[in-house]
This record gives sequence, C-alpha cells and structure tokens, in this order.
Amino acid sequence: MHPEAEQNDSSGFYTPVGSRRKFFHWMTGIAASLIGVGLAIPLVGYVISPAFKRREQSWIDVGRERDLPVDKPKQLDYVTSLKDGWMETKAEKALWAVKQADGQVTVFSPICPHLGCGYRWEDSDRTFKCPCHGSVFDISGKVMAGPAPRSLDVLPTKIENGHLLVIYKEYKAGLPKAVEL
Amino acid sequence: MRLYEWLDSRLRLKPIRETLLDEPIPGGASWIYVFGSATLFLFGLQAITGMFLALYYAPTPDHAYDSIQFIEKEITFGSFVRGLHHWGASIMVVMIGLHMLQTFLYGAYKPPRELMWMVGVILLFITLVFAFTGYLLPWDQNAYWATQVGINMVGGVPVVGDFLVRVLRGGESLGALTLSRFFAVHVLFLPAVLIAGIVLHLFILRRVGPAGPWSDERAKLGSETFAPRQVYMDAVVMLALFMVVAALALTVPFDLADKANPSDTTFVPVPEWYFLFYYQLLKYVHGPFEPLVTWILPAAFILVVFFWPFIDRNPARNPAQRRTTMLAGSAFLMVVFGLLGLSLRDLYAVPRLDPSVAHGKAVYVQYGCAGCHVIHGEGGAVGPDLSYVADARPDREWHYRHFQDPQAMVPGSIMPSFPLTERELHDLTSYMLSLTQGR
Repeated sequence: MHPEAEQNDSSGFYTPVGSRRKFFHWMTGIAASLIGVGLAIPLVGYVISPAFKRREQSWIDVGRERDLPVDKPKQLDYVTSLKDGWMETKAEKALWAVKQADGQVTVFSPICPHLGCGYRWEDSDRTFKCPCHGSVFDISGKVMAGPAPRSLDVLPTKIENGHLLVIYKEYKAGLPKAVEL
Repeated sequence: MRLYEWLDSRLRLKPIRETLLDEPIPGGASWIYVFGSATLFLFGLQAITGMFLALYYAPTPDHAYDSIQFIEKEITFGSFVRGLHHWGASIMVVMIGLHMLQTFLYGAYKPPRELMWMVGVILLFITLVFAFTGYLLPWDQNAYWATQVGINMVGGVPVVGDFLVRVLRGGESLGALTLSRFFAVHVLFLPAVLIAGIVLHLFILRRVGPAGPWSDERAKLGSETFAPRQVYMDAVVMLALFMVVAALALTVPFDLADKANPSDTTFVPVPEWYFLFYYQLLKYVHGPFEPLVTWILPAAFILVVFFWPFIDRNPARNPAQRRTTMLAGSAFLMVVFGLLGLSLRDLYAVPRLDPSVAHGKAVYVQYGCAGCHVIHGEGGAVGPDLSYVADARPDREWHYRHFQDPQAMVPGSIMPSFPLTERELHDLTSYMLSLTQGR
C-alpha cells in the first residue's frame, strides 16, 4: 500500500487521499480541458469557415459597346463560372443594357426588385414589365406602376477597349433600398 | 456541485459514480494499463474528426477528390482535421498493438478473461476493415489502385472469391457503387458494430475485473480504486497522444496523389504501413501456392489468435514460466517487423519524384522544348532525342552551362538560349539528369 494512501471504508480498496488526491483530480481536469480546447477551436473554425466566405466577383465581358443600339434596351448574355463549394458550375444570366444618346451605358439586374421574377422589355409602350405582379418600369428603371418598392437594380459597369464589362450582383427583393445579397 | 446534488437527489447518481470510478485494480494503478483507454480515446478522436470530415465530403467519383481538395485548401483547419483523422488511425493501430502486447505479456487473456480477448481480436479486425474502407474515400490514384489490389486479393479465396469480389465492388469494376458502399460501411455500419463491440469488451471487463500484475506478491498489495490515480494516468497519456497526433497533422503533409484514373495502369499503389508486412509477404509467393499464402495462412493465423486462450493452456501468467508462448510471440513479432522493414527498404529504394524534377519538366513544357526534342516518342525531331540524355551526358555542370549558352558547349548548335531564371536552369538540369534508362 502506498504511504499516503488510505483504506477506503466503503469498498475496502485503498485510494489516495488529501493533497495527493487533489493533484490527480487537477491533472485529469487539466489534461481533459487541454484536449477539449485543442479540438474545439479548430473544429469550430472548420464548421463556420465557408459560411461567411463572399463569392469572388470579377468583371465579365458581355460584348462590344458599339453593338448596343441607342435608347433601346438590349438583352446581353452573361456567362460566368460559379464556385459552389467543390463544384464549379457555369451560370448564365441575361442582363438588360441601355445605351443613352451620350454613350453612357446602364446595365440592369434581370431580377424584378419586387419579389424576384424576371421582367421583359415591351417595345410597343417602351416599358419594362414584370409578368408576375404587374410592376412597370420606364427605360431608366424608375417604377411607373405596380407593387415594386424601388427602381430596377443597376449593376456596376465599365468600358475597356470598347468592351462592356459587368459585375453581376444580386439584391434582396422587396426592400425600398437595394441591399446586396 | 449544487447542480450535481440536485441531479443526484433525483437520478440517484452515486451508485453509478461508484461503479464507474471505484473499480478495483489489483496491485494498484500502473502506466502499463493505459493502452486500452488510449485506444478508446483515439477511437473517439476518429469518430469526432470523421463526423466533421463528412460535413464536406461527397462520396461520388465525380466529387470525392474535389471535395477532399476543398477541405485541404479552402476550409480553415481543414488539412488539420483531415491530418488528425489520418494520423489518428495510424496511432490507433499502434495503441491496439501495444494493448495486445501488454495483454499477451501479462497473460491477461487466461481464464476467466478468454471472452475479453476474443472480443478484442474481433475489434482489431473491425479496425482494419475501417482502415481499408477509409483508404478508398479520397479517390486519388493511391486510393483507387491500393483498393483494386486489396479487392483482387479477395478474389484468390477458393470457390467464393469471384462472388466476394463482385459484392465488394458492387459490380464488375471498381467505381461509383464501390465508393458509395465503402463510404456507407466506413461511416455508418462499422461504427455501429465497433461501438457494440467496445461495449461488450468493457462489459466483460467489469464483470471479470482487470487482471492486474502477474506476480502474486504485487497483487497482495491490495486493490486500488480506478479513480483518481489510474484515471489521471489515462488522461495524461491521452493528452500526450493528442499532442503527438496534432503535431503530425500540423507538420507532416499528407498530400493527395492525382485524381483516380482507372485507365492509368502504370501507377504503383502503396498500402498503409500496417498492411505492408502482408504486402511484402505476397512478393515472395507465385504460382499454385499463392492462395496458400494469401488466404489459408492468414485465415489459419486469425483462427489461432482468436482461439489463443484455449490453445495456450498453461495456467501461469508470469512470462518466466511461459517460455514457449514467449518464444512464439517473439517469433511472430520478428516476422512481422522483419517483413515491414524489408517492405520499407524496398519502398524507399524506388526513387521518388524530386520536386525540382517535376518543376523542370514544367519548364520544359513551358518553353516549348518539345517543338524540337523528342522524349519517349513525343515531340519534334529537329534536335537530339532526349529520352535517355542523362546516360549520354551525366554531367550536371555541362547541362547547366549548355542551357546558358548552347553554342559555347556545342559549337554551331542551332539551339536558341532561353531567358531562364537561376531556379529554372537548376530544375531543368535536374529534369535532364532524371532521363535515364534506370539501373
């Protein structure tokens, strides 16, 4: 029997007592906590890391600027590869581009700011119309009629070497102000 | 403490606490008894890291490889968590080995503990099936071809071999169905079976009690309670193991090979080190005796290990009174480690691709060298064939200077000099020197 051990009355076995016993309890606790913390921190980081990663956005060439008709919206194909975790997918969107007489180009997101339907250009009355709930916008994107809470969303654009470049973004639907998703 | 009392007054925890912590250890706590707990801890670590790996893993041939690359490259601590799982598996096998060795040395499998030994042997084999099924999941070349070899070995089983191979693959060839069934077995079936086995193993332990020391004098010291001293020893060992596994995960990269390519038959797979001794054994047998070594011998051996408590009838537990048993055990260890050693020697004798050679090869491609030179039938025939250029010109300095100024080394050469950086020069030279017929 160990010198500092004592008979355990209830069971008849010996067991360390006093400060020795405390030491073993503390060391066990410390070892367990170190393992716990050493595991918890990486695992929490591991779980949340992709949740807050922003999609990288880049300028995409959608065509030559001089191919756009003046004062008449044109639908442009926007093709990009999207990373979805370990998958890469090709995403295609059709954007609406309008060139003013002074050569300025405005590109609208193809999604109605009301509840997210796709809208189209009506050449006869020169308005954008959303088929879902009847929102109507003029050529500058302003709301003419219907439930839409804000103007059509304008995407960032620039012209380089005669080519129109666009960054595609999505905004929350149904809000009076455009909030990026 | 108040919470504990509150719970205790309702759930009557005291008897449970006493059963769990006051288990008597004959002869007192000892560092030699930690290996079982260590194995259990590593199993827990495997279970936890495995669950987290499953968050991002996709068990299909289309995505398995990419999803592991995603874990490695894009997820914070991803390579660390995967490293813990990889190295944890190896260390777990080591701990099982030590646990069995201790049990064997102490004669702890002798009556009344035969059942505990037998369940333990089953647990060992479940662990090895875990290792085999987990190895395929990354779906890289190594995974694919090592599993191909493993499954083909099953084909050597008399009579039912072909049937088993098809069942294992889930079809004619190793593919999507193989991957999904290996995944399901690895993460759903085996854990259930293993946990049931562990529960049984521990249940038997608590019914018969730990064996304790082999010498009666030490056993006469009386029994010590499991807590707090044995618990403390187990905890310290667990922390040490965790640090070892974490250090390995952080410092030893475990890179994927190329994505599995079923049509590339040149790839030479390497199994996990704990299967290497068997892999080595297979190199020495050919012809009609092959099934004898691949199947009959291992099957007989497994049966002997499983029924060992009934084969070794000597009641003595002290190794000094168990000469034959100790000799048999040592002979077994010598054979296993001998084969492992031979296998490792062979593996390292195979020249590994030097990273500077790989980079040099990329430089060769980048500067369009193949426009004029042929290597193994590919490229243009303007300049000399370089397939075995190092056999003709083994001098590093020559290549180095030749790349800087071809005409200085070969007067009248039409080879242009390229704007190579110092490193490109060095690596391109390394690549040239790797082009030999071999020894």
